[in-house]
Amino acid sequence: MLQRKNLWWPLALAAFVVFPLIVSNPTYTTIGVFTLIFMGCTTSWNMFSGYSGYIALGSGVWYGVGAYTMALFSIHMNMAAGAAMFWLVPLGGLFAMIVAIPVGVVVLRVRRHTFVVITIAVFFVAQLSAINAGFTGGTAGLNLPFITWGASYYNVPFYYVALVIVIFITVLSAAVRRTRFGLQLLAIRDDEDRALGLGVKVSAVKLTGFAMSAFTVGMMGALYAMFIGQIYPQFVFDPLFDISIALMAFLGGLGTLVGPLLGALVLESLQQYLTVSYSNGSLYLILFGALFLIVILFMPQGVVVAIRDRVTKKAEREREAVTSNEAALLGGVNQ
Amino acid sequence: MIKRGKFFRALGVTSVAASSMLMMATATTSGASSGTIAKGKPVTIGVSLSLSGDFSGDGLAFKQGYELWAADVNKQGGLLGHKVKLDIVSDASSPTQVVTNYQKLISSDHVNLTFGPFSSLLTLPAAKAVSRYGYAMVEGAGGAPSVFQAGLTNVFDVELPVIGWMLPYAHWMASLPKSQRPKTAAYVTSNDPFTQPQIPVVEKILKKAGIKTVYNSVFPAEVTDFTAIADAVAASKAQAVIIGSNGIPIISGFMQAFEQAHYNPKNIVATGGPDQGSQFIKAVGVKNANGIMVPDTWYGLSSNPQSKKMVAEYVKQYGGTPSGVSADVAEAYAVGQVMANAVKATKGFDNSKIIKYLHSGVTIKSVLGTEKFNKLGESFSATAFTFQWQNGKFLQVNPTSDPNSVKVLYPKPVWGK
Amino acid sequence: MNSSALIHALIDGVLTGSVYALMATGLTLIFGVMDIINIAQGILVILGAYLSYALSVHWGIDPFVGLLITIPTLFVVGIVIEWAFIRRLKGPEKTAMSILVTYAVSLLIEGALNMIFTVNNVQIQTWYVNRSFEIFGIWIPYIYVFGFILAAVLLSALYYILYRTRFGASVRASLADQTAAALVGIDVRRVSTICFGIGVAVTAAGGMIYGATNAFNASSSYDLISRLLIIIVLGGMGSLGGALVAGMAMVTIEDIVAVAWSPVWSTMSFFLVLVLVLLVRPQGLFGKQSARTA
Repeated sequence: MLQRKNLWWPLALAAFVVFPLIVSNPTYTTIGVFTLIFMGCTTSWNMFSGYSGYIALGSGVWYGVGAYTMALFSIHMNMAAGAAMFWLVPLGGLFAMIVAIPVGVVVLRVRRHTFVVITIAVFFVAQLSAINAGFTGGTAGLNLPFITWGASYYNVPFYYVALVIVIFITVLSAAVRRTRFGLQLLAIRDDEDRALGLGVKVSAVKLTGFAMSAFTVGMMGALYAMFIGQIYPQFVFDPLFDISIALMAFLGGLGTLVGPLLGALVLESLQQYLTVSYSNGSLYLILFGALFLIVILFMPQGVVVAIRDRVTKKAEREREAVTSNEAALLGGVNQ
Repeated sequence: MIKRGKFFRALGVTSVAASSMLMMATATTSGASSGTIAKGKPVTIGVSLSLSGDFSGDGLAFKQGYELWAADVNKQGGLLGHKVKLDIVSDASSPTQVVTNYQKLISSDHVNLTFGPFSSLLTLPAAKAVSRYGYAMVEGAGGAPSVFQAGLTNVFDVELPVIGWMLPYAHWMASLPKSQRPKTAAYVTSNDPFTQPQIPVVEKILKKAGIKTVYNSVFPAEVTDFTAIADAVAASKAQAVIIGSNGIPIISGFMQAFEQAHYNPKNIVATGGPDQGSQFIKAVGVKNANGIMVPDTWYGLSSNPQSKKMVAEYVKQYGGTPSGVSADVAEAYAVGQVMANAVKATKGFDNSKIIKYLHSGVTIKSVLGTEKFNKLGESFSATAFTFQWQNGKFLQVNPTSDPNSVKVLYPKPVWGK
Repeated sequence: MNSSALIHALIDGVLTGSVYALMATGLTLIFGVMDIINIAQGILVILGAYLSYALSVHWGIDPFVGLLITIPTLFVVGIVIEWAFIRRLKGPEKTAMSILVTYAVSLLIEGALNMIFTVNNVQIQTWYVNRSFEIFGIWIPYIYVFGFILAAVLLSALYYILYRTRFGASVRASLADQTAAALVGIDVRRVSTICFGIGVAVTAAGGMIYGATNAFNASSSYDLISRLLIIIVLGGMGSLGGALVAGMAMVTIEDIVAVAWSPVWSTMSFFLVLVLVLLVRPQGLFGKQSARTA
């Protein structure tokens, strides 16, 4: 059983790696890039919010900071449009992390439900600042140096960079789970006061997790800015982005490793596909909402856990069937 | 950091290798138009429109305009003998979706030509996406300065750039006899790339004419309660108010607040909202709309002969009155006209030839007036008008030199009259 | 800085804020009794607005009279939503799941409203929407005063139910401690359902006033729900008095900043106030000091 489960990862990875080589239609690789961006952000979000139970609905801030870092640096450093701009991606992540530290100090002092709302408030403060501060270009946005790669292979470098980031955050997320740091986060989720009583440096742990999760989201924001070519504050600081990330993680399975990946994969590609196929915008909203409800109500722990439960139950039933057969054979006389 | 650097270098090498393989593999299936279509096959034109979300009202009007144009062209045998087929997808007013959409249109649906989406916010990413395929982007709703500052050579905006829209209004006000001219003006605008650039242009001209600025502020686009801001404007007792609004909610919010404060300036002009025809009247009431002015590059009663024909057809198909036809319809129609002209002139559907032709300084007649594109794709030859609601009728009042302009209703009647 | 403009902003804040407070009260009641965060509250306000609009435009019914129809209608809508979706939520992640479920429900309602009413902006029009009367040199719009009176009446009715009826006692018990309430024999399930219905019913009134003072369409709900959420957090989640105070405070602060300083910073200043208050009092102005393991 263990060996079979472990085979999934390399298979999935191989599928992702060869995808752009097989499917050359840029439409699908574009959807692939956006899907990978969401997969990375969701996994990163889950690494803090899923493990610690502090549902943060302000990830848009890191995304926006990363995007603006990429834009402002590439413009003001007069960078040549092209592959050199990829270097700014980790820089975007770094800036997001730097911003996350003071923000975290402030918001991590409150608990649970209040925390959710305060992260929303912080998000709006960031969005409003981006709109109104002078150097961000306001609502007119910023134009990045125009990359003139041809259409047929434009998406490919972005796809692979995004894939690398997703691999990075997945490995990191898995690693965190196995370390003491991860256990401390989980302990905070289960009972923060007891953890504190047991000697866990709760504030430091929370802040570290918070800042770490900002890093990858910032990188993805920078990548997005470079991919699209220009940014507007209301689209890189997008409240729907926050909710989408949380929803994808929930759908997939909060706190699991593959859950966020699966949730993002399914939801993002589905959403893009539905919008493209169903020109009537309202119908898409209704379909999306209905789909959500069905999944949430019938698989409340997320798809991953639901599947895992079903697989385990099936295995258990098989085992029971075997043992009862054995008992029947051995017992014989008693019915 | 060093490890990652090596990674990126390795990635760069691999991606170049991969992409060259890709290029060879996709050379025959790339989206770049070959310029010729097999006989009997239709010419497909791909468009992404905002059919839901913030810009859905305008998106719908654009759809109608494109469809009207396509029907007219097909009635006359199509483009170079090929029937026109429109491939319209919805982008829910999202720039992410708009990029995917145009990629789908070109790579999956293999459209021959592309028309623009609605709003500068979406036109820019769309234009960048299609330029990589070498496609031209003729559009009618992306007039903000940012669209022309991106270094793109394939964008052609059939509509006058936004900075020129308020000029007739400003000139009219500045030329009023001193005794009638307002002494003070208030400027208030939403920080939106469509409205904000228009205001300083007006202020400069009015200041020169001796009209003092007593209030000037920019408010965030998300504000929904304008009472406080409107009160501040009212408190300034400005005699003229210039409102940068991009739709009905903002202008009707201000008008309501002004009425509640019993503030009656001599003149009110808004950059957007009052041009939405019957929707505007429904929102504010016929009496209150009296005297409100708005700039635009076209209106239903335009005397342009091509426009008249189009309006008649629109009314026949969708009902309503000529003055209720949204300018979006005309903008979309003009996009089609420009493209048709280019196709005929270049005798084919080769996008690079079309782009070259449109940059050659040629003048094209459309329902919006004359189109002549400069290096950046802007068309400054189209005119701007100012309109005013007078007793339920939407009339052209500026430029005053234009023979079709009627007298301006000035000063604005008190609210409710 | 004009002193009359400031006074006007203050009056405005109190009058408009009371309507927001009314809508937020429903939200905080639902949370307090059921631990459910109803994200759909925003779109339900819009639904109430559309209902009042439709009654007014198609049957000529005055919006205030129309409340006799819209309030019971939305009460039923609330009960249906609770029965169909909310009831199934159980377990430690109940609150987080409620955010997802109610968000999905709001998408459905938004899509339906778009299809029925189209995305064109509308506004409820009556004689009193634009008129105002003068008092001490300040013009006060009728609609805001009527809205304030409506909010006051409904909140008083709510207060009466909560503090003078047996049912209200059950609600207050559930608000204080659900397990203890169940232990003393209160049918917590029934109380929850009715509270959800009440919480949604008040959106009919809020929606009517909102629809008369703003040009709206279905996408106006996003801004609404974020404001309501922030109001109930500031006031203290589960505290009715807190929702009232916070609702008024929010609009008043924004208006005063817009007048005294600049409209650009008005919304942001409110968020900053929120952050500051929460740092000092994480449970909000009137919230209970929650058990630290929530």
